[in-house]
Amino acid sequence: MVPTNTKNFDTLVVGGGIAGLQTALDLGDQGYSVAVVEKDASIGGKMIRLSKVFPTLDCASCITTPKMSAVAHHENITLFTYCTLNSLDHDNSGEDSGNKFPGINAPGVKATGLKALITQNPRYVDPIKCIGCRQCEYVCPVHVPDMEQGGLSATKVICIPFSNAIPQLPMMDIENCMLCGQCEKACPTNAIDYFQKPERFIITAKTAVITTGFDLLPVRDNVQYGNAKIPNVIDSLQMERLLAPHGPYNRVLRPSDGMEPDSIAYVQCAGSRDKSTGVSYCSRVCCMYAIKQAMLLSGSLPLADIIIYYMDIRAFGKGYEQFYQNAKAMGIEFIKAKVARIDEGENGQAQVRYELQDGSGIATADHDLVILSMGMIPAWNPGAICPVSKDSDKFITSIKPKISPVLTDMEGVFVAGAAAGPKDIVDTITESGCAAMEAAKFMSKRLVEN
Amino acid sequence: MSEMSSDKTTKTDRVGVYICYCGGNISDHVDVEAVRNRVEKMPGVAVARTEMFMCSDPGQEMIIEDLKSGKIDRVVVASCAPSLHETTFRDAIKRAGSNPFIYEHANIREQVSWVHHGDTATNKATVLIASATAKAKRLKPLDPIRVEAKKHTTIIGGGVAGIKTALDIAQTGIEVTLIEKSGILGGQLNHLDRLAPSGEKASDILQEFLDQIVNYKNITIHTNCIIENVTGYVGNFRLDVVTKSDNKKFNIDTGAIVMATGSVSYTPYDGEYGFGRHEQVIVLKDLIHILKENKSSGSVLEVNGKPIKNMVMIHCVGSRQIPGIHKPKENGKLNEYCSRTCCAAMLNASNQIRENFPGTGIYEMYRDIRTYGRGQEALYTQASKNKVVFMRYEADALPEITPSPLPDYPLQVKIKDSLTFNEEMDVPVDLVVLATGIEPDDVSGLASMMKLPIGTDQFLLEVHPKLRPVEFPITGVFLAGTCQAPMDAGEACNAAGAAAVKASALLRKGYIELDPFVAQVDIDKCQGHGACVEACLKEGALELIETTIEGKIHKKARVTAALCLGCGACAAVCPEKAIDINGWALKQYEDMVDAIVSDGFAV
Ligand SMILES: Cc1cc2nc3c(=O)[nH]c(=O)nc-3n(C[C@H](O)[C@H](O)[C@H](O)COP(=O)(O)OP(=O)(O)OC[C@H]3O[C@@H](n4cnc5c(N)ncnc54)[C@H](O)[C@@H]3O)c2cc1C
Ligand SMILES: Cc1cc2nc3c(=O)[nH]c(=O)nc-3n(C[C@H](O)[C@H](O)[C@H](O)COP(=O)(O)OP(=O)(O)OC[C@H]3O[C@@H](n4cnc5c(N)ncnc54)[C@H](O)[C@@H]3O)c2cc1C
Ligand code: SF4
Repeated sequence: MVPTNTKNFDTLVVGGGIAGLQTALDLGDQGYSVAVVEKDASIGGKMIRLSKVFPTLDCASCITTPKMSAVAHHENITLFTYCTLNSLDHDNSGEDSGNKFPGINAPGVKATGLKALITQNPRYVDPIKCIGCRQCEYVCPVHVPDMEQGGLSATKVICIPFSNAIPQLPMMDIENCMLCGQCEKACPTNAIDYFQKPERFIITAKTAVITTGFDLLPVRDNVQYGNAKIPNVIDSLQMERLLAPHGPYNRVLRPSDGMEPDSIAYVQCAGSRDKSTGVSYCSRVCCMYAIKQAMLLSGSLPLADIIIYYMDIRAFGKGYEQFYQNAKAMGIEFIKAKVARIDEGENGQAQVRYELQDGSGIATADHDLVILSMGMIPAWNPGAICPVSKDSDKFITSIKPKISPVLTDMEGVFVAGAAAGPKDIVDTITESGCAAMEAAKFMSKRLVEN
Repeated sequence: MSEMSSDKTTKTDRVGVYICYCGGNISDHVDVEAVRNRVEKMPGVAVARTEMFMCSDPGQEMIIEDLKSGKIDRVVVASCAPSLHETTFRDAIKRAGSNPFIYEHANIREQVSWVHHGDTATNKATVLIASATAKAKRLKPLDPIRVEAKKHTTIIGGGVAGIKTALDIAQTGIEVTLIEKSGILGGQLNHLDRLAPSGEKASDILQEFLDQIVNYKNITIHTNCIIENVTGYVGNFRLDVVTKSDNKKFNIDTGAIVMATGSVSYTPYDGEYGFGRHEQVIVLKDLIHILKENKSSGSVLEVNGKPIKNMVMIHCVGSRQIPGIHKPKENGKLNEYCSRTCCAAMLNASNQIRENFPGTGIYEMYRDIRTYGRGQEALYTQASKNKVVFMRYEADALPEITPSPLPDYPLQVKIKDSLTFNEEMDVPVDLVVLATGIEPDDVSGLASMMKLPIGTDQFLLEVHPKLRPVEFPITGVFLAGTCQAPMDAGEACNAAGAAAVKASALLRKGYIELDPFVAQVDIDKCQGHGACVEACLKEGALELIETTIEGKIHKKARVTAALCLGCGACAAVCPEKAIDINGWALKQYEDMVDAIVSDGFAV
């Protein structure tokens, strides 16, 4: 069935992480109308789920919420959360110039716009009736692992994803729901709707910016590190939750038995710079977040031994080298070694086997908690959805990496943030500003010509 | 100039106080509910509420509802530092249909929960809220100051960052002037050849930019120019410029300024790794120049006509310096930062040499290989494939360059290689290349004219290193490229785009709204002493003018709101108490102090 419901915007931003938010703000502030389409139930991306951020150690939710809120209340920006992008392509109903290279060197750009097919997934809650009072969440009797807390604590089957989520709408995990009807009874506005259906609609826009970000390589696919079956071996995003002030346990405890860990190890380049995992590139942020987490840990667990197994420390950004040197001075131990495998040890420990890079051979060590700095991979595969090209690293191709890294091979389509390769927050924000500028330029050029 | 309105002395008794848990950041140390109970009883407080994250939507909605229902008419939020959320809450108040300046902030995180614990924290939070409430009672609605803004931007520096900023801004219909101190545009890229990691030619990239900019209709380019002075304020800056060749002076009136003054290569001190002592010790830029000229004929790289059988590339020269190990510069400073571009540039050069001159052997001596960027790790893998030998040194055991005892080689490099049991080795070489880092171009003059902050690393300092990388605290002035920090050409162009978007958004409407926290004169009280004018820190913000009142000429102080810093230096010296700061009146300070010293609150 072809949806008839069409909404028109100047720019479609795909992905509501920090890249998408900044792009939307920079375009909205210039007077362009922007649609942000996000697949999750809340905007904010990875950044809202972090603890504190390097190198300033600002609390992540404290600096992300204002951006989220500014986007949500911006007069030129409309949010579409919990949505699936089914297709994004040039609108073939008009004539196409065939000019493949947009941006600064495209003299006669005259293209038709873009058209996206979107599905609004059902939350089983009527967004207009819901007042965000959370009565449904309070009465729901079914507990499920809270993926917003790295699966380390529990939440309800119907809940608002996290306390500063935007929008403040609960959603129901219908697969785990036992249809007891308690939420329906508790809701003061009759907003629960078990029969809600997916809704399809069309967004047309003159330009689009892809800001779909990254995911971590799943530990469960990695034999070397025990396929996520070894207790107390977690990935770095789970560690962010353990360190967050409103995390699963409100303090750092090891998940298997709630013990305070005395010996904590970081495994760097876990899957990165490693051809066998398909991630032959450097994931760019892991050195810095491991150092950051280690510093935060040594603040909350001053007696714990913290070791970072690394190949090279890549503290290349502004203030990063100084941050690294401070971590060394704080007593965090850096061992230049490649971790070959991890096995289950005794008493909930994990045994790390590593090859020292000074040539002196193989050693093993037992740790109470091991954090894997897993490689970063693109969160979105354009595949059959959108004809934009991706590179051998599977991130979106940048056709002019020096002149303007945000240009893709699709006219009027730009890319920013981790969707164009791993990147930290400040580089993401800068790149998003550039993407917004290129989109604005593209549109003003068309205005001049038409 | 309006008279000081009498409502400044009136107080409201409908203050709403909102206290944030900050997800535990505050509530782990401050008993937030106890604070709420105390605050609720304070005189003038109509409601006191708490919330997990005040800045979240439910928090903001709470304020909006209370305002709309008329329960409150002044707002105090007790949470983190106002630098983070002042605008968030002002916007929320605006959405409720109220004046955004009826808002006061109490910082109970940075000033309380992050530095105190237990009862001390709870008590201090109470006192700070009491004081903010006392101030809020005397807040009055204010209007932002609106200044006309010239739709014109001046870019200082014509490297890639400056050129891209100019092109981007001009495309949105804003006039642009680009000022370059040297005779040519292009900056560092003029000295480079094949760029890492893609191998694109620097000259091609420059040409692509230059083709567009030279004839661009609303861009004016001035090369060989020096900026002598910068005055004015956002929307209305004036630059005094002089040409180097014939000393001709001219002015530029502009609405915004972008600093794109770039960087220079670090110059090793005399004797650093033998630099200046041995002609075979050169820097990376020299090597790039040699490869660009490519005068070698056979399978061996030739430098100054001499074949290079073996060469050493030393990383991190003038970068990542450590106090106590490296020798500070004359000004006592060390370059503690990583220069970010040299690792990839070095590997790029090594690969070119190994692939074109297989007869030349290369040793790279490094501390960490930082091929972080897209496509860069492949350079490193390629170098290993090309049989470049990697040796790793620690910062406290730097490689040493001495004349070689071997007749075939002029020099040898001694290194303790931590990749092979810290073994000490002597590598005989014909050439040593130092990966000299990036240093900012000296813009201390411009920075002091415009009051731009400079960081401890000597680079220009942005407002916030995470969230606002291309803005200065001075409204209307932005920065882009390597004047901020080392970055490669692509990253400098990203920064240029980001700075351009900010400048165009600022100037788009032709006017700008500024915060109204500026001095205001009570004309009746002013006796024209002039003490305020003398105390004023900002030139042009305050002056004495003559007015005729009832036939007599009087001297009265007058404020230029757009220039006033709101620092209060004038209010402190006025013998008549005739000048005060909007939003920060003396009476408000008195009430705040009273609230802090009265012991009734911190029960
Ligand atoms: C453990 C860890 C710690 C970190 N710590 C720091 C730090 O301290 N400091 C720092 O600077 N950086 C840090 N980073 C990096 C930081 O997370 C990234 O720089 C940042 O999140 C990139 O933002 P983004 O918007 O590009 O991507 P993301 O945050 O991944 O956001 C992308 C968004 O797009 C959405 N999306 C994806 N696909 C689709 C689709 N098909 N349709 C619609 N929406 C879609 C996603 O749901 C998501 O909301 C850390 C990273 C990790 C893994
Ligand atoms: C040895 C070396 C190798 C490199 N290799 C690579 C590489 O392989 N790949 C890559 O991507 N990047 C590389 N880079 C980095 C690249 O050169 C920079 O990212 C890029 O040149 C930065 O551009 P910019 O505009 O910020 O600064 P610059 O190029 O330095 O331009 C700044 C301009 O501002 C002018 N200026 C300064 N002060 C004033 C003033 N007061 N008034 C007016 N004008 C002023 C200067 O004259 C100059 O023209 C390398 C850098 C070096 C040093
Ligand atoms: S980029 Fe490489 S050579 Fe340059 S300072 Fe950083 S680590 Fe050293």
